[in-house]
Formats: sequence, C-alpha cells, structure tokens
Amino acid sequence: MKSLSLKNLAKTYFDAYKGEHVTAIRDVSLEVPAGEFVSIVGPSGCGKSTILNMVAGFIPHSGGEILVGGTPVKGPGPDRGVVFQSFALFPWKTVLDNVGFGPKMRGVPKAERDAIAREYLALAGLSHAADRYPNELSGGMQQRVGVVRALANEPDVLLMDEPFASVDAQTRMTLQDELSRIWEERRPTVVFITHDVPEAVFLANRVVVLSKGKVLAEVEVPISRPRVWDRLVADDEFKDLSNQVLALVRSA
Amino acid sequence: MNALLPLWSFVVRTSVKWPILQTLAPFVPVVALWWAVAAWGPFPPAFFPSPADVVAKFVSLMEKGILPEYLGDSVARLAIGAAVGIGLGVPLGLWIGLNKSAHRALWPVLLFFQAIGDIAWLPILIIWFGFGLTTMTFVIVYTVLFPVILNTVLGVRSVRIELHRAAQSLGASPARIVGEVVVPGALPNIMTGLRNGLGYGWRALIAAEMIVGTSGIGFLMFDARRAGSVTEIVLGMIVLGILWYIVDAWILAPIEQATGRRWGLVTQ
Amino acid sequence: MERTSRISAALIFIAPLAVLVALWAVVVPVFGVRPQIFPSVPAVGRAGLDSILDGSLLRHVAASVSRVAIGTVLAVLVAVPLGILMGVSRGVSAFLTPLMRFFSVLAGIAWIPIATLWFGYGFGAIVFVIFNAVFFVVAYNTLLGVSTIPMTLRHAAASLGAGRQAMLTDVLLPGALPNIVTGIRTGLGFAWRGLIAAEMIATDVGLGYMLFVARDFYQTEVIVLGMIVIGTLWLLIDRLILVPLERATIERWGLVSA
Ligand SMILES: Nc1ncnc2c1ncn2[C@@H]1O[C@H](COP(=O)(O)OP(=O)(O)OP(=O)(O)O)[C@@H](O)[C@H]1O
Ligand SMILES: [Mg+2]
Repeated sequence: MKSLSLKNLAKTYFDAYKGEHVTAIRDVSLEVPAGEFVSIVGPSGCGKSTILNMVAGFIPHSGGEILVGGTPVKGPGPDRGVVFQSFALFPWKTVLDNVGFGPKMRGVPKAERDAIAREYLALAGLSHAADRYPNELSGGMQQRVGVVRALANEPDVLLMDEPFASVDAQTRMTLQDELSRIWEERRPTVVFITHDVPEAVFLANRVVVLSKGKVLAEVEVPISRPRVWDRLVADDEFKDLSNQVLALVRSA
Repeated sequence: MNALLPLWSFVVRTSVKWPILQTLAPFVPVVALWWAVAAWGPFPPAFFPSPADVVAKFVSLMEKGILPEYLGDSVARLAIGAAVGIGLGVPLGLWIGLNKSAHRALWPVLLFFQAIGDIAWLPILIIWFGFGLTTMTFVIVYTVLFPVILNTVLGVRSVRIELHRAAQSLGASPARIVGEVVVPGALPNIMTGLRNGLGYGWRALIAAEMIVGTSGIGFLMFDARRAGSVTEIVLGMIVLGILWYIVDAWILAPIEQATGRRWGLVTQ
Repeated sequence: MERTSRISAALIFIAPLAVLVALWAVVVPVFGVRPQIFPSVPAVGRAGLDSILDGSLLRHVAASVSRVAIGTVLAVLVAVPLGILMGVSRGVSAFLTPLMRFFSVLAGIAWIPIATLWFGYGFGAIVFVIFNAVFFVVAYNTLLGVSTIPMTLRHAAASLGAGRQAMLTDVLLPGALPNIVTGIRTGLGFAWRGLIAAEMIATDVGLGYMLFVARDFYQTEVIVLGMIVIGTLWLLIDRLILVPLERATIERWGLVSA
C-alpha cells in the first residue's frame, strides 16, 4: 500500500473539432494516505474520469504533479490497478487467465499464478466460474472479475471509474457490500469515482466533491465498519451524510 | 403427396444421423436432371456430356495420373499463396493498424492496389517473368495478401482502447500487449481476411493457370477447351467446386466461427 | 463545414498516392529503367491522352462497364426472387443451401472455358460469366438472408394481418436486403475479376483485352494505364455505389450480418 498525492493538478484538452483548448481540470490538490478509501463525486463533465485517467497514466497531465508513494507517475504501470466501467475483461481469456494476467506479466510461473488467481476468485465468491469466458458471465459477475483482476496484481493504489454503473440496482448493492468487505480485509488505497452519492458515502472514508475542474469540498465519513447495507439503510448518520454530500453536488 | 411423407421423414431421420448426407442429398436430383437432359435433351454429347462421361473421364485421368498431378500443383500453389499471404500480411497489418502515421500513409495505397486486382497484373508479370510459376505465385500471393492486410488492420483497430489500458495497468509491455491483446482481438478479422483472400486467390489461380499455366486444374480446363472436350471442362469445374467446398466449409468457416464464437466476438 | 471536411478527407486520401506517383516519376529516369520493363510517368500520360483522343479508351471502358452492368442487373433480377422463394420454407432452404453454396463457390472464372465453348468468343460468353459470378452469390445470400429472419417476426406480421403479398414485400424482402446487398458486393467483386480474365481470353474489345494486346507489343505504358483505369473504376464502383448501399441497409436498421 502506498499513498497518492495530487499537487495542483491541471489538464487542458485540445478539441480538434472546434480547434480550441478546453480546460477539464483547473487546479486539484488531494492527499490520499496509504490504506484510505476516497470517493470522488460530482456532476457529469466535471472532470472525474479525467483525473482518474491521469493518475492511471493513460493520458498526460498539463500541469502539477501526481505522486504515488512519493514517486512521480509516468505512464500506466502495475503499481496502479484500474477497474473500468465497461469491465474491459479480455474476451479471449478465461476468468482464471484474466485474473492471472497481472502475475503473468510479472513472470510468475503458471502453477503459482493459477493459485493466486484462484485465491482471489474465492475472495469474490467466483471459484465456480474460473474456467468460463467473460462473455458467459452476467454483468455483475464480470465486474467482480474486473475488481479481482486488479486486486490480484497487488497494486499500491486501486483506481475505479464508476465500476458499478452498468449493473442492475440489486446486484450493485451486493457488489458494494462485497467491495466494502474486501477493503476491510485487505486495506488497499482506493480512489473510487461515482455518480451515486449513497454509494460514495457507503464505501469511503472520505468523499471529495468535484465541481468544474476544482475540489468543492471534502467530507469525512466516520461511520463505523464493517459496513453492510442491511445496517446502513436505516442509519441516521449515513442518511445525514448522504444528504449533506447530495446538497453539495446539487450546488456544484 | 401422403405417400411421400414417410419418404421425407426417412430423409430427415437419416440426414440427422449422418450430416454428410444432408450436404450430398440436394445434388442427387441435380445430377438426375443433368443425366436426363444429356440423355433425352436436344444437345449433342460433344456439347453437353452426361454424368457417366464425366465419371469415365475422371477414372481415365486418375489412371493416367494427370488429375492427381494437376490437382497437387494447384493445391500446392494455393498453399504457398496462403502461407506467404499470412506470413507477410499479418505482421504488415499489425504494424499498419498500430501505427497511426503508417496507417495514414499506406491505407489509400493499399485500397488502390487491392482495387487493381490480381488478374490485371498478369500482362505485365508475363513481360517481367514470362509464362510460368513465378508469375502464378506472384498473382496468388498478391490476391491473398490484400484482404489479409486490410482485415488485420480493421481487426487491430477494432480492439477497444480499454483493453489496451487494462493490459498496460496490469504491467504488460508494448510487445506483450501485441501478443496478449492485439493479436487475439484481431483474430476473427484475420480469419475473415484469410477466408476472403483465399476465395479470391483461388479464382485468381484458376485464371492464371488458364492464361499462363502449363499445369494445374485451370490449365486442364483451358487445354480441354482448346481441344473442344466439354467433358474435361465439366470434370474440372466439379473438381474445383468440391475442392473449394471442402476447404471453405470444413476448414476455413469452422475456424472462423470457432475463434470468435465462445469469446462473444462473433454473433450469429 | 461538412463540405470542407469532405474535401480535406479526400486530399488526405490522395496525398499518399501522389507521393507514390512522384516516387515513380523519380525512380524510372534515375535508375534508367527500360520502357519495356516499366514505363515512365510521361509515357503513361501520353498513352492516356492518345487513347482518350482516338476514342479507344472510352470504347474499352464502355465495353467492360456495359458487360458488367448487363450481367449484374440480369443476375440480380433473377437471383433475388428465386432466393426469396427458396428461403420461404425452412426445409427447402436447408435442403438447397449446400447446392447454392457449391455453385457460388464456382462463381466467375471457372465458367470461362465452358462459356466460350457454348457461346463462342465475345459478348455472350463474357456476360454469361458475369451473370454466373453474381447470380449464385446473390441467390445464396438472399436465401441466407430470408432464412435468418426470425420466425417471431413472420408470426408477428401474420398476426397483424399480413397476407402473402405483404409478407413478401414488407417482411421478407426488407429483412433479406442487407444480405442481398452484401451478396451483390461480393458477387460484383468476383465478376469484375472474371471480366478482366474473360476479356483477356475471349474478346477483341474491353479493358482486359487492351492490357493483353499491349503485352504482345511490350507496350508497358498501355498496360500500366489499363491497370490504373481498372483500379480507379473499381474504387469508384465500390466506394460510390456498393459501400454506401451496404451502409444504408445495414447501419440504418442496425442489422449486422456477421
Ligand atoms: N478527449 C477529450 N477531448 C476533449 N475534451 C474532453 C476529452 N475528454 C473529456 N473532455 C472534456 O473534459 C471535461 C471532463 O470530462 P470527464 O470525462 O473527465 O468528465 P466526468 O466527470 O468523468 O463526466 P461523467 O460523470 O459524465 O463521466 C468534459 O467537459 C469533457 O467534455
Ligand atoms: Mg466519467
């Protein structure tokens, strides 16, 4: 586990169609200590994905600094695991091979990486699906594999961009329960992006509200763990915090 | 009508047991009709041979060893075309598909050279290499190459950016990404390209054998045409049809389907 | 906006080809390539101009294009109704599929020898070859198209009161259209190659003939001119007619034929 720190991060895109520069991120500073779970919320187009893509190293930043464990980020790397909204599983690999992909890239021998993959699949209750292809799984199962694949590579920071946005509401709550449990077990550093305020509050130690490329507010979530929906749906502290964050997002 | 029903159900039952019969059954009435027309129709046998003539011709050409030899020549040429076409086409397609500037510079050129078409190259190839094997090999390789390159490029470019990113953030190097992500992602397209390419290449081969060849099925047919032997021409067509049917329906199509289906990359 | 972006797209497309021509213009004189091996750019230009002025290029192009057009139109007119008829019943279409497949495998060039024997050298034989190339491929694809129309769709139409006629024009034909267009595109590809080959063998006018006669006199400039004309014509046919047609049917309706 390592810390993540963003210092005066900025990003301008060049819009080739209009022929002009668009500022997506103006000035964002954020500290995520090792082992903390941070959610980022904000209205559509405020720059959430842009931040995540820069931290992941998929796109270059135009100003400021991104440090993982004190080292500047240059391009994508296995120290930052990513979970995608569209799952991004390799269709031509079985579930087992998808999860074992990171270890394979590190040169871990076949038997050993299969063992690692099986261990992580068990963590998400997916042992029975190891030999299936992603195409043969439901959306919720696919995203479990997506999460577990990122975890199995033991990244220093886990980055998630609306990972549960394209599964049904029922499944989403199950996945949130599970992610919460897995986080409590392993304590990875997580940056979690979402539209869904209750989801953000449910999962995080701290919720960051983003507006027009800037940090509008940060809200601590002191709710005790373990957190499960069965308990939190009726929890007043949870409701108050959610309403507080929701008001901030509305005002953004 | 009712009397035919048991017969029909018999046909259905047996064809379920032996799928090959389902493939062969429709040819029975066609051959019967052909036979009837040849026997009672208005055409002289020199113009319209009967199935028996063709079978007799087949047997005699097999005995003389001409047919096996020519068939071998044609298949070997096609195999060489396929091998060289894949060997050159897939790497070139990967390169052009992955490299933006290579794509911009080469894509129009590729489309244009594909449009010229293999057979239009024959006259100048004859000037360069004369009548013979080099000319034919060039034509087949040329024909197979373009569909393979073009489809590989399409395949490479159809691989979603998130898959590249996922592999990168799991620690894959650019070379590993090509092997683990780009090639499998493009595979269904590559197979389609190969199938199309061989479909065209096989026709080009026949044309080349007719025009410049000294052996092969195309040569057999055209030589027979010069001698006015319709029987040999028809035999040649049937051999070609069967040969390609086998290659396409039993080898290429199943491979094309199998690569994509379980992955969910091929619908239908 | 739309207009200028289309023009710039065309320029970007043409630029690499212009570079290729420039390269050709430099390489031939610098390396002293003999005209019997490969012509210079001016020689091809002159051959082009000559053949345009004396009308021979137009004559060859007109002959080739009219043969393809006649053969294709005839083939499509016969193949589509036949294909639909064959596809209407599951049993019939399953029975006939191997047969159509066999003949579409033979499409085009393989018919040249027998066509020239039956019809003699000339127009008839060549149109026959083109007809064959297009006919079987289109009929096979139509059959395929009709047989992949979901039964539920036919039932839905029937329960909405569609009679035989309406079923044909409102369900079967439009449903099979994407496949038909794909078949036409493939068949025409085979036909175009078959045409060039047939013209080399069996006629005294047309692009294939022009190329093949030039070979007898080592007129490489005429050969290369012919190749460029053939390539350009096919690009025009494919990009301006076939691709838009395919796109219009397939993308518009969101039907994707794998
Ligand atoms: N490649 C790009 N080129 C130009 N502008 C871009 C590009 N990507 C994003 N933008 C712009 O940057 C801004 C931020 O986009 P971003 O995708 O980060 O928003 P988001 O907060 O993730 O939105 P959503 O909640 O809808 O996913 C938007 O105004 C968007 O239009
Ligand atoms: Mg986003």
